Amino acid sequence: MLMSEDPKQYSVNVRWTGGKSGDVDVRGLPTIRTGIPPDQEDISRMYTPEELFVAAGSVCFMNSFVHFTQKMRIDFKSFEVESVGTLEQVERSFEVTKIHSKATVVISSEDIRKKMERALELGAKYCFISNSMKCPTTHENIILVDETM
Amino acid sequence: MSDESHEYVVRVDWAHDRIGNMFVEGKPVVEVATPPEFDGHEGIISPEDLFASAAASCFMTTFITFTKKMRIDFKSFSCEAKGTLERVEKGFQFTKILIKATVAVESEDFTHKAERALELAGKYCLVSNSMKCATEHENNVVIG
Repeated sequence: MLMSEDPKQYSVNVRWTGGKSGDVDVRGLPTIRTGIPPDQEDISRMYTPEELFVAAGSVCFMNSFVHFTQKMRIDFKSFEVESVGTLEQVERSFEVTKIHSKATVVISSEDIRKKMERALELGAKYCFISNSMKCPTTHENIILVDETM
Repeated sequence: MSDESHEYVVRVDWAHDRIGNMFVEGKPVVEVATPPEFDGHEGIISPEDLFASAAASCFMTTFITFTKKMRIDFKSFSCEAKGTLERVEKGFQFTKILIKATVAVESEDFTHKAERALELAGKYCLVSNSMKCATEHENNVVIG
């Protein structure tokens, strides 16, 4: 993987749209609506900052895992991860105190199980986002073999 | 906010190449990918973007909470967050987030209070407080 050592910068914009909600714009990409909307609006359709935080970690874990599978030249059929972040009171403020991630990978042959386990381990270890968080992320990995696929 | 703990559940499914989809129950699916600088894809939201977005949106919601407590009316709020990812011992890590916020208030009377609400928002932003790196703030209150 060609990776420059230079620092990289990520800019995002948030614009208040009323009530407790705002639109997150990332360089012209689809808007992510966040916050708590004004009365009567569909609250369930807006992302909370807490969800974006947990999602950042899960997506980074996926990217990091995919990177290691390519490096190790192993194929997988599918990958999914469900992460649960816990927000708790810490002294006078709240903090996300732990994240638990449960990943399921489907492979076509038992032969690469060990390598796949290793790719998942390395994916977690080198996840930039988890390494940027104070809280630990725990992992539960499930590898399934489906020879029919 | 109550004292008990809250849980946030997110699912990510790999789609193809270095692209996946992010799901939160009842909310729009967001396509996500590795960013171009790490052999990824142009034009798709990356986890690095989500990390900076989490801090920026939390800063906004925390600011609003304080404006309600302090009974401040404001006309608009916007902020830009810039996260810096740098190589450290073990791979890359965010080393800094700079949030530049602009708030418009109706009259001079609210300027100081709005500045105070921005300060408190920076201090109590739970997402920033969950990150290892420091968040720097540049706040601008204008009358308009």
